Amino acid sequence: MFPGIDGFYWTVGHVVFLSLFFAVVVTIMTTVASAAWRTVRDFRTKRAIELCWKSDFAELPESDRRCRHELAGKVISRACDNAFDCRHCGKYSQFAVLPATGLATALALNYSDDRLYHRGHTWVKSADDGTFTIGLDELADHLVGNPDSVEMPEVGTELEINQTAWRMKKNGNEIRVRAPLDGTVVGVGGSKEGWFLKIRPRLDPRDPRTLRHLLKGPEVHGWLSRELERLQLQLRAPNTPPALADGGVLMPGLMDAVPEADWNTVLADTFLET
Amino acid sequence: MASAILTDSRLTDRKWIARGEERTSLSRFLLWLSPWAVVLAVGIYAAGLCLYYGLNETNMDNRFAFGLWIFLDLGIIALGAGAFFTGFLVYILKRAELRPILNTAVVVGFICYSGAVAILMIDVGQPLRAWFTFWHPNTHSMLTEVTFCISCYLLVLSLEYIPILLRNRQLRKLPSFLVFEHQLHKLVPVLAGVGTLLSFFHQGSLGGLYGVLRGRPFAFRAGIFIWPSTFFLFILSAIASGPSFLMLVTATVEKVTGRRLVPPDLFRRLGFISGVLLAIYVAAKSIDTLIWLNITSPSVGFAPWQYYIHKPFGTPILFAEIVLLGLVPAFLLTYRKSAARRGWLLSAAALACAGILLNRFVLTVQTLAVPTLPFDEFLQYTPSWQEVASFGGVIAYGVIVYSLSYRYLPLFAAPKGEHTHVSGD
Repeated sequence: MFPGIDGFYWTVGHVVFLSLFFAVVVTIMTTVASAAWRTVRDFRTKRAIELCWKSDFAELPESDRRCRHELAGKVISRACDNAFDCRHCGKYSQFAVLPATGLATALALNYSDDRLYHRGHTWVKSADDGTFTIGLDELADHLVGNPDSVEMPEVGTELEINQTAWRMKKNGNEIRVRAPLDGTVVGVGGSKEGWFLKIRPRLDPRDPRTLRHLLKGPEVHGWLSRELERLQLQLRAPNTPPALADGGVLMPGLMDAVPEADWNTVLADTFLET
Repeated sequence: MASAILTDSRLTDRKWIARGEERTSLSRFLLWLSPWAVVLAVGIYAAGLCLYYGLNETNMDNRFAFGLWIFLDLGIIALGAGAFFTGFLVYILKRAELRPILNTAVVVGFICYSGAVAILMIDVGQPLRAWFTFWHPNTHSMLTEVTFCISCYLLVLSLEYIPILLRNRQLRKLPSFLVFEHQLHKLVPVLAGVGTLLSFFHQGSLGGLYGVLRGRPFAFRAGIFIWPSTFFLFILSAIASGPSFLMLVTATVEKVTGRRLVPPDLFRRLGFISGVLLAIYVAAKSIDTLIWLNITSPSVGFAPWQYYIHKPFGTPILFAEIVLLGLVPAFLLTYRKSAARRGWLLSAAALACAGILLNRFVLTVQTLAVPTLPFDEFLQYTPSWQEVASFGGVIAYGVIVYSLSYRYLPLFAAPKGEHTHVSGD
């Protein structure tokens, strides 16, 4: 295999054959080393979180990847191809000026207009001191009820958008709540009024693009009505056909109330997990 | 207590299955795996006997040195060619329409090659000294090229399998795995190119191995430069049968699971590719056979009829190999009307695969069975139970690995379409 080792001869055939072999081995090893090095680089530059989210996003069912303008009734049908990052969407301004045509019906859930919403069922509310408060929205809160355990980030933690902000456990299911925006954790609260984080955003909050990716107004209504419809289908009794909404109110602590449901799927759909 | 454990197992199992994918219950899945696990266990025991006591556990001897195992090796390596060929078509020739079958092609290739390497380890024996072949290579031997290329290609297939493995629902939750998968996946075209080069040479060298056997006129062939014609015939036949085998595997999984896994048009495309290549192979094989029967063999003192007087290796085998399992499936796979019918298409694919297996069987067994010297007799060989059990073990290993991959990995992830319809469209 190498000069000096029994079996090696300085012949054309030997040298060509072994050179080809070593070239192949070096190519394979370089490929693996390159992938490993790029992985390390992505973690150093924090691009890893963006890659993970984009990969997770690509795995979401198409019904979960609808464009906000479809939710607001501005377009008939459009799947998002930008991982919900409206800040860098080339089509955003084209559709944003269109009139919203979605119908607003009472949903019996408290979704306040003073907050913005992330598709992973968190709300974002600005404070006068330039920070933002982040909490679980009403639907997620009704699902989870009182979690068995909560793992909140420490103050000072840097969060990237769509990264896991905090984890909860409920009835053996792990729930990962995605961060709705980038920033530094400056406060953590719980549990009477629900678990929440206070974040100082990395980008200038006065820049309209900083919060552009979050849902507001008629988009929230369109999104939420679809989420409730999905939930109704997923939580129906086994072997029963889908039924029309009966106008009832979502009860709190659904995970305890309907333990036999496929919570693995319901939670994945709700919190944008794969 | 038992029911609680069972419920917990079911819940845990569900968490490893991709979201939105329907799979059979855990108990039914285990029931399906259990007979295969038994076959695998018996195969491992038989292989252990062969490794511990040596090849006298087999019915091979110094005259009949190649048997069931080498036939299995040649067969599954040919059928596993769908992996490198699909990668070549998708990444090098940019045939994106074959993407839905790419992952399953990699898994099938990985199973075929790892199974072949495992059985070669038993056949060659002394696996702890396997490194000798790399450290002291005999570069005049086709087998050295085969060993180097198959080892490297198995490494390539393992690397191509890793991104599929890391896309498992639980494994992908680890960010480092997911990012590494992403980066490795971006470099897969490089691996596909390397895999194509390696496969081209080892498929060829496996054929060349027979073609250079001057002492075995049944296999010996004239050729081009240092390569006998069997070098090129093996490459052609492997890339012709690979897509057909992928079709059969996918159709079997569709039948077992009762689900449509790939777009219907994909089978027709694979069938057409397989059919065209098979037609070229049959033409080349026919010309090669005519040259061998009329020129090569008489020049070394053998009249063609001498090969076919020993039953069951009569001329019907040659006819079956070239016409029934070559020309007929090539026609059925390429003819528009027959290719449009799933039954015909799959039957033709099965015939094509059977033809390639028959070719490998004939070259392995008939080559050694036919007498070559005046005092030789026609040799008969029946594999021992250890050989059959090891053979069965490799098949069971393949079924188990594929079943686990299908259950827990995204083998047939369909690309998600993007559509935009603006109000008023």
